[in-house]
Amino acid sequence: MRGVRVFFKMLIRALARQKRKHLMIAFTVGLGVSLATAMLGVMFDVGDKVNQELKSYGANLSVVPKGASMLGDLYQSREIDSGADGKANGQVDGRADGRASGRADGKANGRASGRADGKANGRVSGRADDGTISLDDNDYLPEDQLYKIKMIFWAYNIVDFAPYLTVEVQAGDQTVPLTGTWFNRTINLPTGESVTTGMMALKSWWTLNGAPGDDGAPLKALVGSELAKRQNLAPGSRLSVKGPNGLSRELTVAGVFHSGGEEDNGIVSTLALAQELADRPGLVQRVEVSALTTPENELARRAALNPGSLSRVEWDTWYCTAYISSIAYQIEEILPMVRVKPILRVAQSEGAILEKTQLMIVILTILTLLCSALAISNLVTANVMERSVEIGLMKALGASGLAITALVLAEILVASCFGGLAGYLVGLGLAQLIGLTVFGSWVAVKLAVIPIGALMVLAVSLAGSLPALRALLRLKPTEVLHGR
Amino acid sequence: MAGKGTRARNRAFGLKMVLWSLFRRRSRLLVALTGVTIGATVLLGLITLCYDIPKQLGREFRSYGANMVLVKDQVGGRLSAGDLAAARAALPAAQLVGLTPFRYEAVRSHMLPYTAVGTGFEDVRRTSPFWRVEGLWPGAPGEALVGVDVSTATGLGPGSLLTLEGRDSRQVRYEKNFTVSGVVSTGSVEDGFIYVSLADMEAMTGESGLVDLAEVSLTTSGGQSLEEMAGAVQTAAPGVEARLVVRVTRSEETVMGKLTWLVYLVTLVVLTLTMICVSTTMMTVVIERRKEIGLKKALGAESRSVAREFLGEGLLLGVLGGLLGSAAGVGFARIVSHSVFGRGLSPEGHLVPVTVAVSAAVTVLASLWPVRRAVDVEPAAVLRGE
Repeated sequence: MRGVRVFFKMLIRALARQKRKHLMIAFTVGLGVSLATAMLGVMFDVGDKVNQELKSYGANLSVVPKGASMLGDLYQSREIDSGADGKANGQVDGRADGRASGRADGKANGRASGRADGKANGRVSGRADDGTISLDDNDYLPEDQLYKIKMIFWAYNIVDFAPYLTVEVQAGDQTVPLTGTWFNRTINLPTGESVTTGMMALKSWWTLNGAPGDDGAPLKALVGSELAKRQNLAPGSRLSVKGPNGLSRELTVAGVFHSGGEEDNGIVSTLALAQELADRPGLVQRVEVSALTTPENELARRAALNPGSLSRVEWDTWYCTAYISSIAYQIEEILPMVRVKPILRVAQSEGAILEKTQLMIVILTILTLLCSALAISNLVTANVMERSVEIGLMKALGASGLAITALVLAEILVASCFGGLAGYLVGLGLAQLIGLTVFGSWVAVKLAVIPIGALMVLAVSLAGSLPALRALLRLKPTEVLHGR
Repeated sequence: MAGKGTRARNRAFGLKMVLWSLFRRRSRLLVALTGVTIGATVLLGLITLCYDIPKQLGREFRSYGANMVLVKDQVGGRLSAGDLAAARAALPAAQLVGLTPFRYEAVRSHMLPYTAVGTGFEDVRRTSPFWRVEGLWPGAPGEALVGVDVSTATGLGPGSLLTLEGRDSRQVRYEKNFTVSGVVSTGSVEDGFIYVSLADMEAMTGESGLVDLAEVSLTTSGGQSLEEMAGAVQTAAPGVEARLVVRVTRSEETVMGKLTWLVYLVTLVVLTLTMICVSTTMMTVVIERRKEIGLKKALGAESRSVAREFLGEGLLLGVLGGLLGSAAGVGFARIVSHSVFGRGLSPEGHLVPVTVAVSAAVTVLASLWPVRRAVDVEPAAVLRGE
């Protein structure tokens, strides 16, 4: 009993008397912990943050009608047979058009915009008569079912989606593609939630001169920069378009956009207008979906080839992880009439970059933690070492090795705890600083950081003092007190 | 003369004192040296990575595919082999990841029309690493790759035979047999094409040296910007238009910018904290020697000479720690670069003197404050143990 009281008395005395020394320990431990907290905070969140940033590359899933590719081939054969236009360019382009998903692709774009004028003419003849004969309603998706995309298991990871319906229209003396879409549509889900989605968020690389599109104003449209140049259009101009069914509409140009791709030769309007001009009420040709995904691993690759080959447990793991293949599978589940294809250019690169960034931060964190642990233990060693005289005196007065160890350790731990707490708070601040400066958003600090930080303080200050303590216990009181 | 001799002797004595004090306090020296070495390791390692990571990430971003497309500037024109050679020569070799020509032809197979694309498969793998091929990439002449949509529609798969026919520019019929070596899927237009090698395409159509377009993949970190390179191509190969793929370039700028910032900021935070850590260690080591300073002063040492001795010690420690840390820092950077990007890195030699200088400066500055305090204090007070 008395021993305990003496112990605490000595501890408090030591803490009060040697303030500066203990402050130094607290400070160093605080620095180490703040570093650890900041790095761990960033480490756990960097994946999500970078994933968000990578969304600027656009959609990573393309949703098309199930029969699209087969019927697309059929449709193409009729076009060639009836149009009798064997010119390579016209055909490549006709194909890209028929297979709607190809439109947004960089490759088709690059070449298409270079030759659009030449091709547009070749295309007209084949186009006028095929729109009505070869495409039936099986080649379309119902617009009113699309909200279900937001109701799959990984609904939360669907960042954005937009439907498209393209129809060739006569604008002035030219035939140009008019694509109807949702610009920025708010839809109410049966669950009571509402989501806002549309094309504007998917095409972050477009530059727009004028007003953005408005879903509520079907007679306002966006015009591609190449078309605007050819026809001398500017925001506010009027443009008359005539659909394949003979229907004519007078449009107002809301804005002129530049995408660097084939879209620059066309018109982007509301979905309602395109459906009216194409005579396809309530139908769309394809949907682009942008989803946050987990980088693929062996399991995901196997599942992508054949989900049936997985064991029960594997299947559950796969289904409940946001792999691109499981999200595609879930969309196909909820919309039976569709085929969902990952756009590999985006999906694959995304995974690679995400993996690298995460790995980089993890390794940096580990190395930094190691260094700060070394630095802390180094300081603790320095601190313990200089107390040889004090400890020699205690030994001379008959203190046991255990009592001395307990006292020194208790001192160090108390100082470390205070330092660690302060360091934790500073570290949180630093993590937020990094999050706000780099990504412009708060870093969500995971709870796991706290036990890791606490454990680190404990382990590092204990481990750091051990070698020094061992040396202290071996001290000969006479030698130390003699002044050596 | 006498003055010179005294000064020389003083200097020798000073040096002896520094070495002696370092030697006598071996364990203390070890602690301080460890501290400085850790600091220098982090310093050199992180700065090297700061140079290296943006470059390495830039390479990773090339997996998004081509960021420049070359086409003929007149409508419907085709690029000649000369155009491509001139363009390739105009691009800096260190930044060129790949240049892939593409030639599109309308063909028929079993009466159904397809688009055949002639290209270089080695180049495609460099510029479009995201292509997923089931089966094998074509290696030998007469082998073809079919898009996954073509494959599902026709049942063609690895090993199948495929006959392509069509008419060349003089309207002469041609026909050629291919073996399908693999099925390619990308999720976009490529899924609907049939790919053959450019040589096969030229042999088939009897028309060579012309392509429709070329995709170019270029890294931008640490060199010319894309705009500069596009300009260089257009001057070197008249009639060629170099277009940037805005979608890829703009997004890459944004994301790369942020990632680079992340690395810089993390480095800044880690470095600041590490340097403070080194300073506190140094301070602790110096503070506990206040008694020694008091004793020296009591024996008649001048404040300045005491300070000089301590700072000299700090300088020596800083330089030594800086050198040791530089070696360890290169290892640190190597580990990160190797385990993340799977590539080694070229150490930036000029960073070593910087590291040594910074460690020396930090050590000296960190000892400055406690030494000045100790020197200012009355020797009697220090020696009494206050």
